[in-house]
Amino acid sequence: MGEAGYYIAAAIAILGVMPSALGEGMVCAKAMEGISRNPEAYSKIRSTMILGCALVETTAIYSLLISILCLFVH
Amino acid sequence: MPENESLIEHTAKHFFDFDIAPEVYSSLIVCFIIIVFSIVIAIISKHRDPLKKPHGFMSVVEYGVEFFDKFATDMMGPAFKGMGGFVMALAMYLFLSFIFGLTGLPSPMTYMAIPLSLGLVSFVMIHATAVRYQKWKYFKRYIDPFPVFLPINLMSMWAPLLSLTLRLFGNAIAGFALMTIMYTALEALNQMIFSFMGTWGGAIGTPIVTGIFHLYFDLFSGFIQTTVFISLTSIYIGQEGPEDITDVQTTEISMKGGN
Repeated sequence: MGEAGYYIAAAIAILGVMPSALGEGMVCAKAMEGISRNPEAYSKIRSTMILGCALVETTAIYSLLISILCLFVH
Repeated sequence: MPENESLIEHTAKHFFDFDIAPEVYSSLIVCFIIIVFSIVIAIISKHRDPLKKPHGFMSVVEYGVEFFDKFATDMMGPAFKGMGGFVMALAMYLFLSFIFGLTGLPSPMTYMAIPLSLGLVSFVMIHATAVRYQKWKYFKRYIDPFPVFLPINLMSMWAPLLSLTLRLFGNAIAGFALMTIMYTALEALNQMIFSFMGTWGGAIGTPIVTGIFHLYFDLFSGFIQTTVFISLTSIYIGQEGPEDITDVQTTEISMKGGN
């Protein structure tokens, strides 16, 4: 078990990126809706969307970090 | 420590053997680049006629300074007009640290202590601003809404620091790890394809593919994380400032800060 346990833990930890990807998709969808309703606000919506995407990504980065730690730090 | 060496002897011999990570030296190089750049610009701008139109390099610099001043005013409110320099210094250091990995030297962001120090910079700045504008009311936040919540509030106080630190570190280390995996795999693959070249076979196709990914993981990711970090810092600081824009004290501070 020993060694394999770390890999299994890394695989479980990386599952946390799934909801994050869903959330990012929602951010993009809503931003596109907003742009199609009000094309003049394109540049403003785009910059806010990138900021929001990066914030949503945070949880995914945490899982990735934990998974990398499981793989390499033992 | 060897047997035939006393403690004092050992300490004297190994006094200068600092165990400093290579990333810290990278960070010092980045700092040095920024300091030299800033001093050169300060000297150039001192010997200029301010009434003349800027051209060439100086117009770019002026655009940058104006952009960050506007950014600070937009994000934090008019009371923080003088914060443009702080935000610009943070942004320069962050972006240069992120793209420093492109030189082949270790990127400072992949060493946990450096994102932690950057997080501490903005954390201290947030609380210093809060104390400056709210005076004794600042301590009220820890017993909000009841004094029973003190332990919980003391814990949640560290959340911004943790999130700012781990966001930077996680992004940098994830890019670094993925690039390392990609380099290893592509080198092995290319060595198999160009096996007639011997050990140099791995160096043929690898840089072409990894270069594109360096663009994403270092340049694009670094740019986005820089934007996020300075935006979050600005928003956190702006929350602590005065809410009423027409306050007399506010205009006084903004004039002082603008100088």
